[in-house]
Amino acid sequence: MQLRDKYRIALLSAFAIGIHGIESLLPSPIPWMRLGLANVITVIALLLYGFRTAMLVTLVRVIISSLLTGTFPGPAFILSLGGGVLSTMSMGVIVLLAPRLFSAVGLSIIGAFMHNMTQLILAYFLIIQRIEAVLLIAPVITLAGTLTGALNGLVSETVIRNLKKDIIEKNN
Amino acid sequence: MDTLVTITVVSASESKADKSIDDAFAAIEKLEKLLNFYFAESEISLINRNAGLSGVKVSSDVLRLIDKALYVSEKTQGSFDVTIGPLTSMYNFHKHIRPDDGKIREKLSLINYRDLLTDNAKSTVYLKRKGMLIDPGGITKGYAADRAVETLKKQGIHAGIVAIAGDIKVFGLKPDGKPWKIGIRNPDAKDDKDDVMATVELTDMAISTSGDYERYFISNGEKFHHLLDPKTGYPAGGCRSVTVIAKEGVFADAFATGIFILGPEKGMTVFNETGFSGMMIDSRGTTHITPDLRGKIEFQKNPS
Amino acid sequence: MSFRKILLKTTGADRILFLLLLSVSLAGIFFIKDIIPQSRSVLVEVNGKPVYILPIDKNRTLSVEGPAGNTIIEIKDRKVRITDSPCINKLCVKQGWITGGSIVCLPNRVVVTVGDKDRQKDGPDAITG
Repeated sequence: MQLRDKYRIALLSAFAIGIHGIESLLPSPIPWMRLGLANVITVIALLLYGFRTAMLVTLVRVIISSLLTGTFPGPAFILSLGGGVLSTMSMGVIVLLAPRLFSAVGLSIIGAFMHNMTQLILAYFLIIQRIEAVLLIAPVITLAGTLTGALNGLVSETVIRNLKKDIIEKNN
Repeated sequence: MDTLVTITVVSASESKADKSIDDAFAAIEKLEKLLNFYFAESEISLINRNAGLSGVKVSSDVLRLIDKALYVSEKTQGSFDVTIGPLTSMYNFHKHIRPDDGKIREKLSLINYRDLLTDNAKSTVYLKRKGMLIDPGGITKGYAADRAVETLKKQGIHAGIVAIAGDIKVFGLKPDGKPWKIGIRNPDAKDDKDDVMATVELTDMAISTSGDYERYFISNGEKFHHLLDPKTGYPAGGCRSVTVIAKEGVFADAFATGIFILGPEKGMTVFNETGFSGMMIDSRGTTHITPDLRGKIEFQKNPS
Repeated sequence: MSFRKILLKTTGADRILFLLLLSVSLAGIFFIKDIIPQSRSVLVEVNGKPVYILPIDKNRTLSVEGPAGNTIIEIKDRKVRITDSPCINKLCVKQGWITGGSIVCLPNRVVVTVGDKDRQKDGPDAITG
C-alpha cells in the first residue's frame, strides 16, 4: 500500500472517529439512535478511493472508538463491528455490481439498512433473546435508518461533488 | 374456597368463551356461599346451628351433595364422613394448632354419618344430635367442578378443563384432537422440576388427589396433615397420596379422601367395588394402580 | 453544489429504494402489533400462593388482601402496575408499569409477575395433587 493511501486512511479514520465521538455526546431522545454521521466518511471513502480504503477506515474507526469508550471487547463492540463491516461490504458489492445505479444517497440507505439489520440480529442472539421485542422495534429502526441514511447520503454526495469541483478547478 | 380456580375452554368464539367462563365462575361462587363451613350465612352453617333441634330446608345442590357424601361414607365404611366438623374445627392448619388428646376423645363421639338424615321429599337435612357439625371440605371442590362443567356445557362449550386446586374435571378434546393431559403431583417433590411424577390422558372424566403434603404442619416432631381419620381423630397414616378418576368430580374428590384415610389394603378394595380407576402411594412409598390404568399412566420416573 | 441541486441529482433507483423502505417500515409499524405472538398472563401471588392468573390484554383493576392490608393492582393497555399498597416506602408503586418481570411488595407479601402463558409443549394441562 502506498504511503498516500495510508495517509488517506489515517485522515479519514480520524474524521470518522471525531464525528462519531462528537455525535455520541449530543443528547438524543432515544439513547442508541444516532444519526450515524460517521458513515458519511465511509461512503465518501468508498466512492472516491475504493472498497479497501472504505473497509479499513471502518475497521479502524470501530476499533479505536471502542477502545476510547472502554467498550472494547464487549457486546457493544461486536454489534458495532458487525454493523460496520456488513454495511460497508454491502455498499461495496453494490458499487461493484451496479456502479451507476445508486448515488451516494441510495448507497447510504443500503448501508444503513444492512447496519441496522445486522445489529438487530446480533442483538437478538447475544442480548435480548425475545423475538417479540426484536420484531417490535425492527420497523421503527428501519424507518429511522432509511431517513438518516438518506440524509447522510445527501451529505456525502454534497461533499463528494464539492470536492470534485475543487479538484477540477485546481487542475485547471 | 381459598383455592386457585382455573377454567379453560375451547371455543371458536372468544366472546362465547368469555361468557361461559364468567358463568362458570359465578356458579362456583354461588356454591361457595351455600357450602362454606366458615361462612355463617351458608346453608351448611344453618344446618349446623340447628343440630339436635330441627331439620333445615336446603337447596337442591346441598341436598344432592349430602346424599352423595352419605353414599361415599357407606362405601368407605365411615372413613369419609362429612360430620367430621367437630374435629376439623379444632385443628388450625394456618396457625399450626392441634387439639390435645383429651379434646379429641371428647368430640369423636359426635362424628357419625348415620346421624345425618336427609328427606328428599321435603328437601331437608337434619343433624340428629346437638354439637354435630358438617364440614364438607373434602367433597365440595369436586362437586363445584361438576357444576361448573355443566354450566359450560349449557353455554354450548364442547371441550374444556375446570380445575379447582387439584380437583379437576375435563370434557371434550383439545383443539389438536388429543385428550387432556393431567399431571399427578409427586408427594416428595422438592422443587418445580420434580413436581409431576406421572401423567394420564383423560376426557369426560374427573380426577382428584388427596395427599399428606397439601396442608400440614409439624408439632413436636409429629406431622399433622389435613386428612383426618374420623375414627381416631388424628391424621390418617397409611398413605402419602391417593388419586381417583371417576365420571363425577364429587366422587373423585370424596373417594380420594375416603380411600386415603382407609389406608392401603381396604382402600384398594374400594376401587374394586366402585369400579373407579386410581392410584395410591402408601406410606412405605409403594405405588398401587388399579388394573385398568396400567399402561395408561405415564410415569416420569420409575415408580417403586 | 447546493443541497437542493444534489437532491435533483439523485437517481431513480435512489428514490425508489427510499420510498420502498419508507413504506415498508411504516406498514411494519402499524401491522407488527397484530403479528406478535400475544397471550401473556399476569400472575398475582400472596404469601407465595397464586391468587389470580389474569390475561394481560383485558384492562382491569383489582385488589388483593395481604397481611398488611389491600394492594391495588391495575392492568391497562397490556401493562401492569401496583397502584397502591399498604407498605411504608411504596417501592412497589414507584416501580410503575411493567410489561415483563415482576413487582414485589415485600411488607404485604404480594408478587405480581408478567409471564408467558406458553409453558413447555409437553407440560400437563393441569396438575392434581
